[in-house]
Amino acid sequence: MTEMPPEPATLRISQLGARLSDGDRQFRLCVEGLDLRAGEVVAVTGASGSGKTLFLELLGLLRAPEAGADYHLTDPATDLGGLWRAGPRSARLAAIRGNLFGFVPQTGGLIAFLSVEGNIALTQRISHREDASHRARLMGRLGLSALRHLRPAALSIGQRQRVAIARALAHRPAFVIADEPTAALDPDAADAVMALLLETARDEGAGLILSSHDAQRLDRMDLPRLHFTSVTDTDGHVLSQAVLQ
Amino acid sequence: MRLVLSLALRDLMRDRLFLFCNVAVLAGVLVPLLVLLGVKNGVYHALIDELRNNPATLQIDTQGNADLTEADIAPLRDWPEIAFLTPRTRSQFDYVNVYAPDGTGASLREALLLPTGEGDPSLPAGLVLGAGEVALSPLLASQMKLAVGDRVELVTQAENRPRQLRLPVTVRHVLPETAASGRSVMAPFAVLDLVEAFYDSYALPEHGVSEGRPLSDRQPRFEGIRLYARTLQDLAPLQQRVEAALGLGTSARTREVMATLGLGRNLDLALGLTASLAVAGLAAALFFGFWSDVMRKRGTLAALSLLGLAPRMIAALPVLQALATAVLGLALSFTLYAGAAVLAGWLFAGSLPDGAPITRLGLGQAALIGAGVLSLVLVSVLAAARSALRIDPAQTLRGGM
Repeated sequence: MTEMPPEPATLRISQLGARLSDGDRQFRLCVEGLDLRAGEVVAVTGASGSGKTLFLELLGLLRAPEAGADYHLTDPATDLGGLWRAGPRSARLAAIRGNLFGFVPQTGGLIAFLSVEGNIALTQRISHREDASHRARLMGRLGLSALRHLRPAALSIGQRQRVAIARALAHRPAFVIADEPTAALDPDAADAVMALLLETARDEGAGLILSSHDAQRLDRMDLPRLHFTSVTDTDGHVLSQAVLQ
Repeated sequence: MRLVLSLALRDLMRDRLFLFCNVAVLAGVLVPLLVLLGVKNGVYHALIDELRNNPATLQIDTQGNADLTEADIAPLRDWPEIAFLTPRTRSQFDYVNVYAPDGTGASLREALLLPTGEGDPSLPAGLVLGAGEVALSPLLASQMKLAVGDRVELVTQAENRPRQLRLPVTVRHVLPETAASGRSVMAPFAVLDLVEAFYDSYALPEHGVSEGRPLSDRQPRFEGIRLYARTLQDLAPLQQRVEAALGLGTSARTREVMATLGLGRNLDLALGLTASLAVAGLAAALFFGFWSDVMRKRGTLAALSLLGLAPRMIAALPVLQALATAVLGLALSFTLYAGAAVLAGWLFAGSLPDGAPITRLGLGQAALIGAGVLSLVLVSVLAAARSALRIDPAQTLRGGM
């Protein structure tokens, strides 16, 4: 009898939602059900204001979900939604966010007073997963070895995004969340960075959840999509829902 | 915490212009205050030390010719604020002739005979004159060329007595100028009592005076007392208490002492007022400085939070930076103060008694100032730390850096 390979860590979502208010207007986001496995890629798409970033915030433990949501990790079994019960400034919430996820923000989000290598090492140090050889391998893979001692201010935007990718993967997270990672880049650089992000995440076995409104690039890369569409009711309230395509 | 400390210091070094500004603000307020405090300490302590080093400052003498018994004086001996007390014999018997048959200087000089005893602040600490021992004023010792260990005789002659009273004594100590002026001899009270008994025509056969009334009939009576307050602060209340207890007037240098102590209080008050205003200004400058720094760096703090650094560690970042700023500010302030103290010492050399330094700052005071500044900085950075704690890590993801 052949042994089944272990099930990869999975983010399991059911009725995950959040509500924003702006005066009398309300915006409500709801994802009915979704499984995101480590090693898989999903592109979060939708029009501006459809709640892509809000979804990534919910997913990345940056925003508390509405009551009734079920959001948990399968391995190790963790009630991620329940972490918010200890409050938004809970040390455990921050620790699990740091260990489970790597983040690639739109503008890199690099720490200005650290070198390229210092930035990449940061996620390892925060999560107590120091590994210089893995760091060196990532820098080599992303063409950063020669830039290791430079500060972010000395880098181009494309180079900064590559540093952000290396930093997001340095501590071997199960998932990487990238919010419009190529939005600030010219088309050629955007293609290169996107390709590097996909390849490196795949090589590292990390699940990748990236948001983008560049449909053509996503089409070229043939990525599965979680598409958000919004409907506005007569009171001006907006409901945004996700459909896996 | 090592990671946070490392991040805090790296950020501080990168942002060193801001660090220099805060250190300069600290030093700008602290150095003038330290110099003021140092000068106040130097000048005031020089005045106080001058008073303390002169036992006459603490001395209280009863005035006039009283008629006190041992029973009148006995209760005063238990008063804690009295460092030393001795009765005084009648003043017309205060003078004796000091005769030095083997001396190389003047062989005979008249001198004032003063009572002393254990604890007398006019004598060096721990020196107790035994029976047959005296201490001489420097003038008398100089004129008669007497030194410690020399043998002299105290000689007195009463009109109605057939012979002199001669008391052989040994010089145990020569007093400094501050303790005795003019020609004087300090001797145990028993010596003065003996001289008075001689004048009162009592027989003193062990001293060769066999004629006279038996000494056993004698009831000692004292013209007054001389006493010393334990501290400068004790002097004025003690003088009042003695006057009330004995019903006698007294003389002491109370006004001079009170004026000097009052000067110290007024200087403390003026310095306290100045320091309070300066510290309030410093606290405001630090408060807004640290707070605006966190606001300026909220993108960095949000990014660190996004990457999983615990919120209390995020809050610790500005606190550690503030403490490092305070330590640098204190180090610079004390260094500049030391330089100012050297300059002031050079400019005002010799202007204080006994070459006392113009500025003075004790280690305890420095430690207290250091602790105070660190506390002030900690309080000032609390709002900044609270702001750091509330920074939303999601703003990094939204590209809000």
